[in-house]
Amino acid sequence: MDEEYDAIVLGTGLKECILSGMLSVSGKKVLHVDRNKYYGGESASICPLEELFSKFGAPPPDESYGRGRDWNVDLIPKFLMANGLLVKLLIHTGVTRYLEFKSVEGSYVYKGGKISKVPVDQKEALASDLMGMFEKRRFRNFLIYVQDFSDADPKTWKDFDPNTQNMQALYDKFGLEKSTQDFTGHALALYRNDDYLNDPAVNTIKRIKLYSDSLARYGKSPYLYPMYGLGELPQGFARLSAIYGGTYMLDKPIDEIVIGEGGKVAGVRSGTEVAKCKQVYCDPSYVPDRVRKSGQVIRCICLLDHPIANTKDALSTQIIIPQKQVGRNSDIYVSLVSYTHQVAAKGWFIAMVSTTVETENPENEIKPGLDLLGSIRQKFVSISDYYVPTDNGLDSQIFISESFDATTHFETTCLDVLDIFKRGTGEEFDFSKIKHELGDEE
Amino acid sequence: MANRTGTAQRPNGQTQGKICQFKLVLLGESAVGKSSLVLRFVKGQFHEYQESTIGAAFLTQTVCLDDTTVKFEIWDTAGQERYHSLAPMYYRGAQAAIVVYDITNQDTFGRAKTWVKELQRQASPNIVIALAGNKQDLANKRMVEFEEAHAYADEHGLLFMETSAKTAMNVNDIFLAIAKKLPKNEQAGAPGGGGQGRRLVDGDTGPKAAGNCCK
Repeated sequence: MDEEYDAIVLGTGLKECILSGMLSVSGKKVLHVDRNKYYGGESASICPLEELFSKFGAPPPDESYGRGRDWNVDLIPKFLMANGLLVKLLIHTGVTRYLEFKSVEGSYVYKGGKISKVPVDQKEALASDLMGMFEKRRFRNFLIYVQDFSDADPKTWKDFDPNTQNMQALYDKFGLEKSTQDFTGHALALYRNDDYLNDPAVNTIKRIKLYSDSLARYGKSPYLYPMYGLGELPQGFARLSAIYGGTYMLDKPIDEIVIGEGGKVAGVRSGTEVAKCKQVYCDPSYVPDRVRKSGQVIRCICLLDHPIANTKDALSTQIIIPQKQVGRNSDIYVSLVSYTHQVAAKGWFIAMVSTTVETENPENEIKPGLDLLGSIRQKFVSISDYYVPTDNGLDSQIFISESFDATTHFETTCLDVLDIFKRGTGEEFDFSKIKHELGDEE
Repeated sequence: MANRTGTAQRPNGQTQGKICQFKLVLLGESAVGKSSLVLRFVKGQFHEYQESTIGAAFLTQTVCLDDTTVKFEIWDTAGQERYHSLAPMYYRGAQAAIVVYDITNQDTFGRAKTWVKELQRQASPNIVIALAGNKQDLANKRMVEFEEAHAYADEHGLLFMETSAKTAMNVNDIFLAIAKKLPKNEQAGAPGGGGQGRRLVDGDTGPKAAGNCCK
């Protein structure tokens, strides 16, 4: 450890592993350390099941749960948008060759106490039970407008300026009802609250396009999920970093971040060893004095021995409960994966209900989500603080990621990573730096 | 990694027998010659001062048996073994492993035994394991007796050869021996093998059949 590095990365969560990979690929000498014995930090998948039960202080699982080693339970629920930033990063870095994915089978939205499939094309819009007959036609016209919309071609804007006029104005232009606006903004554009209505319409149009382009890639739903759980993602990027010379140390406690002249980071101390470095990249847990709490997220892991009702027995699905449907300010998300993803023993399902905490009684807030699940065999609730850095790193050269938010996908995760990389290196990540002759992959 | 198998088409349309693909992982202490063995096997090269593994951790090479082409997808440790930081992903779905030690260094043989135990704990139960006593060209500095390693391998059901990446001795042979021992039927991938998912590739559109297996 007693060496000098360009960058020391602390924590092996997904964001840190992507950063470590990008830094190594860019020719930096990287030391990547985690205080835990395992990869993934908060974005690890817990295996075996006994470990999950003991983590939450529950008595060990009985025999009905099958082999504990067949379980890989995520602590943070997320899916990948098939056409989103993380998939682009995976493909461009070649990390995709270490992983296998499955499409998520269904995407549902909650309205008036029941769930309906999210309509995404004209055919589905006309068949949907979310809208009346005339509303279906108006929604269909809206979808066609979004589909034909091109940022670069004002002719497709149809007498509407998406850069200056807001999203509410676009909804009004098509005469869409409030409830249609609700599922469009929350289940298609994936906004967590209604602030977007006052923002330029172009942002929302792009998000709906990302949804439909993602859907077009693999069918069924716009989401992908990795076999063996999300914990595979940080491991894949860590391997990329190692291939480009990154040094890995797990199970290494970090006792001090050593600050040198002018408040600039000089190294990292573990026991009596000090590794010198020019920069540190880390998650909030390594620098409690340089972050502030900006909220809380509640996540409830539910083990089920059946699929969710009214989802056509989908083996994986997402259900979005838009805020207004249940009188809240932020949406509730339900995600479901199962034994087909090698994350549970045969016949088992893992549902996760999550949202941004708004009250003193967060468990009560997720009740509408839990009520959709039917009988729950085992429930684990966690409430985690959401931290944002108070130091942008430009002086200290300590670059800190934000905690994982309540969104259902990795778009904000990737934006944070790309922003940190740019702050740290002064340049955008250059994908062409990756040698494609990393072996003779066909 | 599913045990992907297909039937190769020649340009004139004749079939050529089946192709089976297997994930093979390398294990062993730093500097015993893991990368050199792969480099010799895949590219026929040897570098006296091979750097610690950088930039080549995913190579493929095929071995032809009678009516079957066995394609190895070879995973190198990328140095992550150095501080015992290999990820579970490394073992995941591996159908074969070569555990390498250096015959001039007794410690590396002890460590090889630990890696075998680790494989038995982490990898799929029917993984084919080969033990390679590398640097056979330095036999005059030998510290690990052939008989000792051979007895250990026998006792644990491992394939065993002494190899030399430098002279190429037994390098192709050890991969060939593994290829022969691997099951080439539909069940080969399961249960620890392929996850039956799909790989993502650039410009990928529309669903494809996932993880075909041997027919």
